[in-house]
Amino acid sequence: MKKPDRTSSLVWLGFAILICVESLRLPLGSLREPGPGFLPLLVGGILAGLSTISFVQARMGSPADRQGPWDASKRWKNLLGVLFSLLTYALALETLGFLLATFLLLVFLFRFGMESQRWTWAIAGGAIASLCCYVVFELWLRTQLPGGILGF
Amino acid sequence: MDFLANLQLAFSVIFQPDNLLFCFIGCLIGTLVGVLPGLGPVATISLLLPSTFHIGPVSAIIMLGGIYYGAMYGGSITSILVNIPGEAASVVTCLDGYQMARQGRAGPALGISAFGSFIAGTLATVLIMMIAPPLARFALEFGPPEYFALMFLGLTVLTYLASGSMVKALMMACVGIFLGTVGTDTISGIERFTYRSYTLMDGIGLIPVIMGLFGVSEVLINIEEACKQQIYQTRLSSLMPTLRDWKDSIFSIIRGTFVGFFLGVLPGGGAVIASFASYAVEKKFSRHPERFGSGAIEGVAGPEAANNAASQGAFIPLLTLGIPANVVMAILLGALLIHNIKVGPLLIKDHPSLFWGVLGSMYVGNVMLLILNVPLIGIWVKILKIPYPILFPLILLFCLIGVYSVNNNIYEVVIMILFGVVGYLMKKFAYEGAPLILAFVLSPLLENALRQSLIMSDGDFFIFFSRPISLLLILAAFFLLVLPLLPGLRRRPQGGDLD
Repeated sequence: MKKPDRTSSLVWLGFAILICVESLRLPLGSLREPGPGFLPLLVGGILAGLSTISFVQARMGSPADRQGPWDASKRWKNLLGVLFSLLTYALALETLGFLLATFLLLVFLFRFGMESQRWTWAIAGGAIASLCCYVVFELWLRTQLPGGILGF
Repeated sequence: MDFLANLQLAFSVIFQPDNLLFCFIGCLIGTLVGVLPGLGPVATISLLLPSTFHIGPVSAIIMLGGIYYGAMYGGSITSILVNIPGEAASVVTCLDGYQMARQGRAGPALGISAFGSFIAGTLATVLIMMIAPPLARFALEFGPPEYFALMFLGLTVLTYLASGSMVKALMMACVGIFLGTVGTDTISGIERFTYRSYTLMDGIGLIPVIMGLFGVSEVLINIEEACKQQIYQTRLSSLMPTLRDWKDSIFSIIRGTFVGFFLGVLPGGGAVIASFASYAVEKKFSRHPERFGSGAIEGVAGPEAANNAASQGAFIPLLTLGIPANVVMAILLGALLIHNIKVGPLLIKDHPSLFWGVLGSMYVGNVMLLILNVPLIGIWVKILKIPYPILFPLILLFCLIGVYSVNNNIYEVVIMILFGVVGYLMKKFAYEGAPLILAFVLSPLLENALRQSLIMSDGDFFIFFSRPISLLLILAAFFLLVLPLLPGLRRRPQGGDLD
């Protein structure tokens, strides 16, 4: 099979070993009365076994030169931009407040997310959409959204 | 007449104005979601879950159920008109539905999928009414070993039916079970893998995980691949299929219903598998199998009926055993638990209005979908034309608000983004999300059943093999696990390759 499968099964193997090591720090109990570490250790062990099988399968398969999951032409820059903006939003939400943070996020995503929209469009769209969400979620559904520096 | 009395109860519940309204909202939102790419029923149900906290449990489940089968129908609209399945269960509908649209027969294709879904929904509702109560009585005899065996079988079926590698699907199930153990252990009170995080003490939330794996990751994939859609220009004069269309498809609908229903009832089965299976069955039964793929109406009618019947059949294990058959049911289970309803064999007895009301709503919901979609098709087509660069920020925003509003906890939003990245990588490396989620939801139930069984048997694993029902279930699970290893039987039914 393919190289990506080998890589991914190794990652999972590492994760499985981590689960086992961490489970061993919990009380395992006995078979008569299994403790909190029992099931995690069990699934960690099974996961380790399965990832090894997956790794061996990937090695035994013909080394086809199929393109991996990473294609240089794809828009990974946009992807990183979107992820970065989401994380920033999460961290800034309670300080900036829902309305302001959402407005900034939407303007950014409209402008730099996939295809660049015009600034006027991005700002107008961001303003309308964040206001609508505020009305629906805060005023109508009574979701407790953070007020932040604007105070509402 | 027990049956008639129950039927009466069902209709008295659903015809209460507020329930009717929530059923309508559910169907409407469901169809909308089915039409929009990149936001499946799973993400939407979890998105709207917090907003149902304020309404009663019956109305809540009715609305969430409406979203589920509404999305099934919405998915077929995009499959037929744009050749893009709105969600996985309508992939098959693309094959013949889109061809019909290209031949200028989009109307009858949409019509027959609506009528097919309606007929299937009707039959499935009757089947549920007949099967569920006796099954629940039977399930009263289940002890922890039987529950463990049943959940084990459910997870095995799901991994067996996974479209990719079974080993990878099993790995995902293990990861799901592990994620489910994070948090305070219910039996000993000891914290597991929380690293003193306040957020993790209650365990990893279901909603952030689902929104991440199914919502955010889908958007990330779409951003990268820049999905472009072209709506086939077709005039929708009438949605009514002709008499000939009816003659061609009525038996396909009935066959599709039965295939779909029983695959839906099976834990781990569900609408996706049902629609593929029904397509294969129709091709076998047809006198002109060569017409399939070039606009055969049976190829639309059968799978559409099947996915609808399956989504209703899936309610059976949830409402009788308390075990979700698929991811959507897992979220509904979460919703019931939030509303303090104990799910299990006693549900029908303890909450008759919930059980029968939900059933009644499925029936009424199907009528609503039929009425709703005839005049609204034009609007759905317009929504399809919203470009993705404008749509995706809104989808992301809904995910963010949805997760934040559950506990007003910003760290859950971070967890969602994290699982968004994980889900993106899983899609890249061909790991499926469904086994992970189902295992994640079942994990606490599975662990309790396992630990209780071992306490019952004094640490003897033989308890799972000494009781007839659990023995049968465990044997069935092992059979599925070994099946792919047997020579000559290597090929498993795979979602992607039909021909």
